[in-house]
Amino acid sequence: MAESDHLAQIVNGCKKGDAGSFSQLVDMYAKRCYGYFYRLTGSRNVSDDLLGELFVKLVEKISSYKGGCFESWLFTVASNVFHDHLREKQRQERLLNAEKRQIESKATEAKQYINERIDKLQEQLGRLDADTRKLIILRFYSQVSFKEIAAMRLEPIGTTLSKLHRGLKKLRQLMEQ
Amino acid sequence: MNGRNEENLKKLLEKLLNSEDAEQFERDVLEGEQILREYSAPEPDKQLIANIKADIARAILRKKTRRTYYEAAVAAAAVILLAIVGVKLFKQNATKPERFVAASIIPAAVWESEGLAADDENIAALTAEIEEVESEILAVKSGENGGNGLTDLEKLEMELVEINSSFWEG
Repeated sequence: MAESDHLAQIVNGCKKGDAGSFSQLVDMYAKRCYGYFYRLTGSRNVSDDLLGELFVKLVEKISSYKGGCFESWLFTVASNVFHDHLREKQRQERLLNAEKRQIESKATEAKQYINERIDKLQEQLGRLDADTRKLIILRFYSQVSFKEIAAMRLEPIGTTLSKLHRGLKKLRQLMEQ
Repeated sequence: MNGRNEENLKKLLEKLLNSEDAEQFERDVLEGEQILREYSAPEPDKQLIANIKADIARAILRKKTRRTYYEAAVAAAAVILLAIVGVKLFKQNATKPERFVAASIIPAAVWESEGLAADDENIAALTAEIEEVESEILAVKSGENGGNGLTDLEKLEMELVEINSSFWEG
């Protein structure tokens, strides 16, 4: 059976609410989605939470997948999960500033987040601007074509290509320093 | 599916750049992505995957339960709707056009009497009068006689009462 047929069969099973099919989907994509979240957040704890959130969200959202590139759809949902997390983090930070004493425990948690051991790549990725960093990570972990990525980002393919090219070149320079 | 494995990057770049630049571009992209391959991200541990699968099973169950409740609610709503329509139809049938009831003015004595010949004569006369009154009432109701409907109706009712009492008196 061709890979795409196998995937289509799994997705159909998921749409029917079959737990076994979801389990297969987790086995197929958990590693890549986890890498995606880890490179975006630099935290294992947060990536753990986001990965769980993503797959539980898929149970509700799978019916909205109407065909086409599944990875493209999956990573769009993953990207939304990440942005929801960012918004929540920003909200917590605002609360943290306003009520420092009351949420001391959350401040400690945030500190742990920052102090997590990160590798050199994570450090250098952090030096890129947010949009370029997201583009590089999306391209690498989603494994979808430039055409699909340009469609996901609602921009011309030439823009996507040149942003990625510049970003990867800069990343290489930073890594060589 | 349109994954990057099916994508011909060189061909795509050649559409946008000259062949030399396209080659350089492709090299830069591949070298850049090689760094990401060398520094692989950590993987989710087995316990996390097991927890996620359990969470998914719970989410599926919740979704199915919600759907069952929804279907039950729809069925209940349909039953209620049918009941309302049924009651309305029943009420419509219950209010049929008015019928003139003449039997009530026939005294019970007529039914209990032994003198059949005399009774028949009386009943025939009474029936004729009732029919006349009935047709007059209908005419008044439909406004055929052109008179004041209410006053004429009252007169007829009086006439009917009179017939009734004269019958009683014999």
